Amino acid sequence: MNLGRLFWKSFLAFWGALVLAGLAAGMMISLLNEAHTRDLQLAAGPRTAFIVNNAAATLRYGGVAALREVMREWQQERPEDVSLYVVDAQSHELLGRTLPISVLARARARARTPLNDGHPPNVREVMSTDGQRYLLFIPAEAEAAHLRARPEPLPWVPIGGGLFASLVFSALLAWYLAKPIGLLRWAFAALAEGRLDTRVQPLMGRRRDEVADLGADFDRMAQQLGRLIDAQRRLLHDVSHELRSPLARLQAAIGLLRQDLGTHVLIERIERESVRLDELVGELLTLSHLEAGTDPRAREAVDLLDLVAEIVEDARFEAQPQRRDVRFSGAAEIRVMAHVGSLYRALENVIRNAVKYTAEDSVVEVQVDYLAPTQQARIIIGDRGPGVPRADLSAIFEPFYRSANGQKAAGFGLGLAIARRAIEANGGRIRAHNRSGGGLCMEILLPGEIQRPSS
Amino acid sequence: MTRVLLIDDDVELAELLKAYLEREGFEVRLAADGEQGVREALRGDCAIVILDVMMPRLNGIEVLSRIRAHSRLPVLMLTAKGDDVDRIVGLELGADDYVPKPCTPRELVARLRAILRRTQEAQNPERRRESLQAGLLQIWPTQRRVQCQGHNLELTSTEFNLLEVLVRNAGYVVSKQELSEQGLGRALTRYDRSIDVHVSSIRHKLAQVCGERTWIRTIRGLGYQFLQE
Repeated sequence: MNLGRLFWKSFLAFWGALVLAGLAAGMMISLLNEAHTRDLQLAAGPRTAFIVNNAAATLRYGGVAALREVMREWQQERPEDVSLYVVDAQSHELLGRTLPISVLARARARARTPLNDGHPPNVREVMSTDGQRYLLFIPAEAEAAHLRARPEPLPWVPIGGGLFASLVFSALLAWYLAKPIGLLRWAFAALAEGRLDTRVQPLMGRRRDEVADLGADFDRMAQQLGRLIDAQRRLLHDVSHELRSPLARLQAAIGLLRQDLGTHVLIERIERESVRLDELVGELLTLSHLEAGTDPRAREAVDLLDLVAEIVEDARFEAQPQRRDVRFSGAAEIRVMAHVGSLYRALENVIRNAVKYTAEDSVVEVQVDYLAPTQQARIIIGDRGPGVPRADLSAIFEPFYRSANGQKAAGFGLGLAIARRAIEANGGRIRAHNRSGGGLCMEILLPGEIQRPSS
Repeated sequence: MTRVLLIDDDVELAELLKAYLEREGFEVRLAADGEQGVREALRGDCAIVILDVMMPRLNGIEVLSRIRAHSRLPVLMLTAKGDDVDRIVGLELGADDYVPKPCTPRELVARLRAILRRTQEAQNPERRRESLQAGLLQIWPTQRRVQCQGHNLELTSTEFNLLEVLVRNAGYVVSKQELSEQGLGRALTRYDRSIDVHVSSIRHKLAQVCGERTWIRTIRGLGYQFLQE
């Protein structure tokens, strides 16, 4: 699947936003955690209360020397475990350790106003035997250091998981946004190519949002366009169809008139004009039949080289007296499944058209080859005529197109329109471009298979 | 006088054509719908049928297949302009030729005469016994009969004409132009694939009766060739 720029843009935007939000949230949490621990600078809990109470009893009844002795003993046994701090009024610690002023201030405040949360008190102020007041407490850091001997590693698993999840989520969201846009783009391209039965709503599934509404609007537009074009085609077909009966009677009547009056200039003229009218109606009917699609029953295997060679031969026969020539090259034998009559007509129209417009003493080049990767036969017809203005390159395939430079050509202006409809009805495509060095080049692609590679 | 059956639902046109054809020396009988047309055609007193393919109810293709089920009476189809399918299906079902409608009555009469000339040669009694041999095929041109190893081959009169031209030139390439002129009695026109349709039908029938082998070879850009061996 071709993921468009929109997908990548929204994907990167979503993902970036998610990662940033994740980082911000992580930082907030760690900051909050820090503030939290700072607020609880003092350790609490039954273990703390027990140690503090014991030390307080020792101090009150045994004096400072006894407590210092006990704490020295603890320090010798388990040096890292001595978390109890004993501070006198001059802020001297019993064992000479230092600690932040904020922790000490917090401990003093807590000693004056104990927490009324039902827990045993974690800070005590005790009068020792020598009449000094001592503050006993355990700082939170010491407690925490006791609880986790090693520093915690960075949480790689949740970080990785978060990144992965945000990646997947962003991709899904971006795809969800970009997919219907891609769908709409495809639908517009299809419509532009003339496939008026293109509908996007069935492809949108059960989506209900503005994009789905846009899809519904597109469908309505395509339907309306289709209806208008159908009506136009039907009108063209009906008019030409209805013209046939009076035309047939007219011709029969002209025939009777001829029998009665013999040849007369005016009768000849009337007959000629009625035949012209008849040809025009025939062309229009051919066009409308082709637009309705040819009957697949009428398709058969056609040797393309044979067909093109035959048409080129005829065209050359007519071109040479006008000092123009047609040159044909192509060696691969290609078989196409086609409706011979319409394909013949299409190629003949295009080749004759080239002969008509190519300059005097110039050559129309017709070339047939095979494109193996796409399994298509390619027919290229290049003339050395005036070419066509860029803007009109697709308009020349419309019925009754007349070139802007006012060149009046023989015929009804239906030749290329019929050619395009016929080629499309046979599953192919035709397009025109101006050649370097002047002239117009028609490129026709038809699905086909190779019989024998070029020798 | 040659009697022509005109089957067309456009009564006004049919009347005009009737007047025209009568002045050209034909006797004309009209049928305004397919049912009546089939009945008239199978009465056996007409030399040729002009059949409009585009008719309501029983259409021309259906009429043609009902006539062909019982008779090899020559049929000239009037086909819709721009619609190849009717024409191809019609020729495959054994119509002898077609004229796209609308057409000038002169063209219609020319086609009519071409078909009649071909079929009426068969009535010439002096040539009745003449026969042609080509490989396993034996042809009696005047009786319009073909046999392959004793088995009859059922061909329409146009198919018969084309096969006859090919067999008379067995081993040589016959161009589509010659085939059209000698077999259909008219010049080959642009976009005309009727020769190919007829030849394909002959090939099919030959394969059914005489066995699978290449009887008629397509020579690219030139025409067709009948192979004896």
